[in-house]
Amino acid sequence: MIEDLKQTFLNELGSATSAADLFQLRVNYLGKKGTVTAALKTLSSASPEDRPLLGKKINEVKQFIEAELDSREASLKSETLKKQLLADSIDITLPGKYTAFGREHPINKVLLEIVDIFVRMGFSVEQGPEVEQDYYNFEALNFPKEHPARDMQDTFFVSDDIVLRTHTSPVQVREMEKRKPPVRFIAPGKVYRCDADITHTPMFNQVEGLMVDKNITFSNLKGILEAFLHRMFGPGTPIRFRPSFFPFTEPSAEVDIGCILCGGSGCRVCKESGWLEILGAGMVNPAVFEFVGYDTEVYSGFAFGMGIERIAMLKYSIDDIRLFYENDIRFLGQF
Amino acid sequence: MRASLEWLREFVPVGASAGEVAHRLTMLGLEVEAVEQIDGDNIFEINVTPNRPDCLSMIGVARELSAAFGAEITFPDHEFKSETGELDFNVDILNSALCPRYAGRIVKGLKIGPSPDWLKIRLEKCGIRSINNVVDVTNYVLLELGHPLHAFDLGCIKGHRISVGTPKDVKGSAEKLRFLTLDGNERELPEDALLIWDAERPIAIAGVMGGLETEVSGTTVDIFIESAYFDPVSVRRTSRATGLKTEASFRFERGADIKMLKKALDRTAFLMHKIAGGTIYGKIDVYPAKYTAGKISVNYEKINRVLGLDLADSEITGYLGRLGFVVEKVNGRYDLTPPPFRVDMQRDADIIEEIARVYGYERIPAVLPAAVTGIEGQDNSRASLSEALLKEMKGSFLKSGFTEVINYSFMGENDLDLLGIDAGDVRRMMVRIKNPLRAEDACMRTTLIPALIKNIVYNVSHGNKSFRLFEISRAFLAGGNRDDKLPEERNHFAAALYREKIQSLYRDDTPDFFVVKGVIEALFNSLKIAPYSFIRSAEPFLHPGQSADILIAGSKVGYIGALSPVVVGRLDIKAQRPSIILTELDIDLLSGHYAQSAQMIRYSPLPRYPFSERDTALIVDESLESSEIVDLLKSYSSDLIEGVTLFDVYKGKNIPEGKKSIAFSIRYRASDRTLKDEEVEDLHNQIVGFMIGRTKGLLRT
Repeated sequence: MIEDLKQTFLNELGSATSAADLFQLRVNYLGKKGTVTAALKTLSSASPEDRPLLGKKINEVKQFIEAELDSREASLKSETLKKQLLADSIDITLPGKYTAFGREHPINKVLLEIVDIFVRMGFSVEQGPEVEQDYYNFEALNFPKEHPARDMQDTFFVSDDIVLRTHTSPVQVREMEKRKPPVRFIAPGKVYRCDADITHTPMFNQVEGLMVDKNITFSNLKGILEAFLHRMFGPGTPIRFRPSFFPFTEPSAEVDIGCILCGGSGCRVCKESGWLEILGAGMVNPAVFEFVGYDTEVYSGFAFGMGIERIAMLKYSIDDIRLFYENDIRFLGQF
Repeated sequence: MRASLEWLREFVPVGASAGEVAHRLTMLGLEVEAVEQIDGDNIFEINVTPNRPDCLSMIGVARELSAAFGAEITFPDHEFKSETGELDFNVDILNSALCPRYAGRIVKGLKIGPSPDWLKIRLEKCGIRSINNVVDVTNYVLLELGHPLHAFDLGCIKGHRISVGTPKDVKGSAEKLRFLTLDGNERELPEDALLIWDAERPIAIAGVMGGLETEVSGTTVDIFIESAYFDPVSVRRTSRATGLKTEASFRFERGADIKMLKKALDRTAFLMHKIAGGTIYGKIDVYPAKYTAGKISVNYEKINRVLGLDLADSEITGYLGRLGFVVEKVNGRYDLTPPPFRVDMQRDADIIEEIARVYGYERIPAVLPAAVTGIEGQDNSRASLSEALLKEMKGSFLKSGFTEVINYSFMGENDLDLLGIDAGDVRRMMVRIKNPLRAEDACMRTTLIPALIKNIVYNVSHGNKSFRLFEISRAFLAGGNRDDKLPEERNHFAAALYREKIQSLYRDDTPDFFVVKGVIEALFNSLKIAPYSFIRSAEPFLHPGQSADILIAGSKVGYIGALSPVVVGRLDIKAQRPSIILTELDIDLLSGHYAQSAQMIRYSPLPRYPFSERDTALIVDESLESSEIVDLLKSYSSDLIEGVTLFDVYKGKNIPEGKKSIAFSIRYRASDRTLKDEEVEDLHNQIVGFMIGRTKGLLRT
């Protein structure tokens, strides 16, 4: 009889499909008025000798039913959860929601790279005005009035004595006026020349550098600039210093690197020379020291300057300088 | 300058290949920018720096090669026998300061005609067009020896005389004369121009250009050849004032060789006679201000100290000798006499460069300087703080989708007109450029906004429908009272957001004003720049209902807002009601506040007891701004209020017309105990009561 009960339960369990069915089964078998509970109540009317065995059997069936129900409930729960999770699934291949990062302007990207290298070599960063006195832009840099060297830089004039600075070099004079050696700084910034074509814009960026102390040599100038250029363009880059002219340096040098596009064999960019002009440099002309009151017999120093646009054009293979100032986001987005 | 290798080899026997010669010249400072092959000859395109007028000729380049290769220079033929007969011709220098030497020769009975081929070819290789044999010879000698010469038609010189002086020297009073130059143009001459005169009138602008009336023509028979030295500054002034830049003025303004002029004159006469025949007459050489070479002293030790080398005395004197210096040794120093053509030799540094040049820059070792201990420069704390601020600012906007632009610093009046900025506005105090490239670029920017608007229009016209831009640049304000007369330069930040109504995958209906405002607030909060506030702005180019001035501690540091539809209407943008948000901040004002806050960071202990939160919604007048609600809440005096947040603003269904619902949440916490529910309830009710009273609002239930 109790065996039949178990079989009946198993049949009914087999056809149960929902949590409600299982609950009903639990009530029907194990509830207060359930079949198993009723069977247990019949124990008292059983003979004393049958009672232990019968009790044991009924208890076994009870535990069996409980276990079966628990297990079915658990598996049903996990199936339900699985179904629900499946229903909640999303198309994980759709794009994420974000605001695309903006891009730093390529000129500033290159400029900061240059500044960073010099800062690591112990140079501080200084600034000067962009609208500048003729005195700082020319006179104190040893460009006297009516000197042909002024033709090297087509100048925007605000008045007879005030110009848009044509180079970052006036910062040299301003800084030396402010302090005594040792001096070691770079001065990045915008400069202006009245010129506009495929290789010239009326505004462009330069980084100036100055180092003055006792016993600073031309050899040191080469040391610092080689260290910089090798970091900027790669350790094996060939470097060439050749004589040039700037009124505020003497000796003056133009610094070339081996063409990074053709590797020195000659191409359109390096005009078949295998070399690219990258920097102007030299030992500070004692005439400049005299303007700022440095003792020319005690101190020596070097200065250098470079155009950022040119370096950026080489670095990114850009062939028209005007692209930098059109600010087309299809261009700017590439850096 | 163009130089022919074949021609150079006539002066100096250099066997090296064209490539090798070009390399050596470049490494000497005469940069060969290109080499062109013409009929077996090599033509170098040489970039001669302004300090080296002595290299603007074959002989000049040859001298450099001679120093580099250690080969002797051979001078071209210029010896001849001239007629000694009486010359009925006088030269007077009236201004020896501007003309210290004036020489000339008369050649009579010339046959003007085309030049022989060899002469034509050489001139053409060097970029000079052949005119006739007489003019060609003067040009030839100019290229060969670097000294400018001029041939006058002797028959057109009146009164058998030439004088050299300014109008004041000649006429006793300064005046601006008009003069017909040989290019056929009549020009007004500056009153201080040095001129060549005959007995009646000016016949040439000294060192710049001859006159049409005394030009050598097909009918010329007798000529006067001029070879003179003119003051560089005077020539340059006149050349600039007349706009005449010639081969002659180019050389004179850089400095001619006063000693070479006699050789150049004789070489010219020699070649003319050879090519055009005629009789050469005796030389006129008026030389009132004799040239004396200035000596330059150089400390022997300083040469090596500056270069970082260890050159022996003999090596140094060797290099200087090859360059034509006369060297005297006196007590550890050299007293040097530079050759007369080296007008660029002024002081010891110039000599040091010469030694380095001939020694070879490439042979000087690269050595890093000894490290300097300590921190370079002045106290940079302020500068580095503003650098840190810039970095944060840039970083925030980059990460928020803004792309950096760089615009020219120029703008025009019309840019401000477009924005409706009136005459009294400080942004009208523009620095004006006297020689702008374009009228619309005639001023320096006082605001970055016009350029950003142009960037927007440009990008929209290229099919972009949604983008964000920012720029960090200086703005320039004229009219200050600085002692140095320079304008005030202020660091500005500006950003622009442009968005058309486009379909997007995910819904986000945050108005763009708040997108940009949010970036600014996040930045201020992160930098602890406080207290800041936003109040309605009166900027004329912004939408009056959607714009704010940004205040820090009550003073304006910038603004943010939607570009006024009136201004948008003036732009070439076809999209219907695009959203354009602009902001501009004065970084220098910000960095002052940042400097204060950055130095005031102090740790505060973390709370030890839990908090309780209560939410309430009030119905208030529509016009009541949320900032007033927050200010009111903050004004309620209680130590137990930890923070206040607005979390909903609602208008519409269930809310009466003219009203809105504002919901806020208050977080309560005590620093010394756990708050009891009743205590919080009590306090919150009091605050709600206070708010209802002050806003004349109702509790939304």
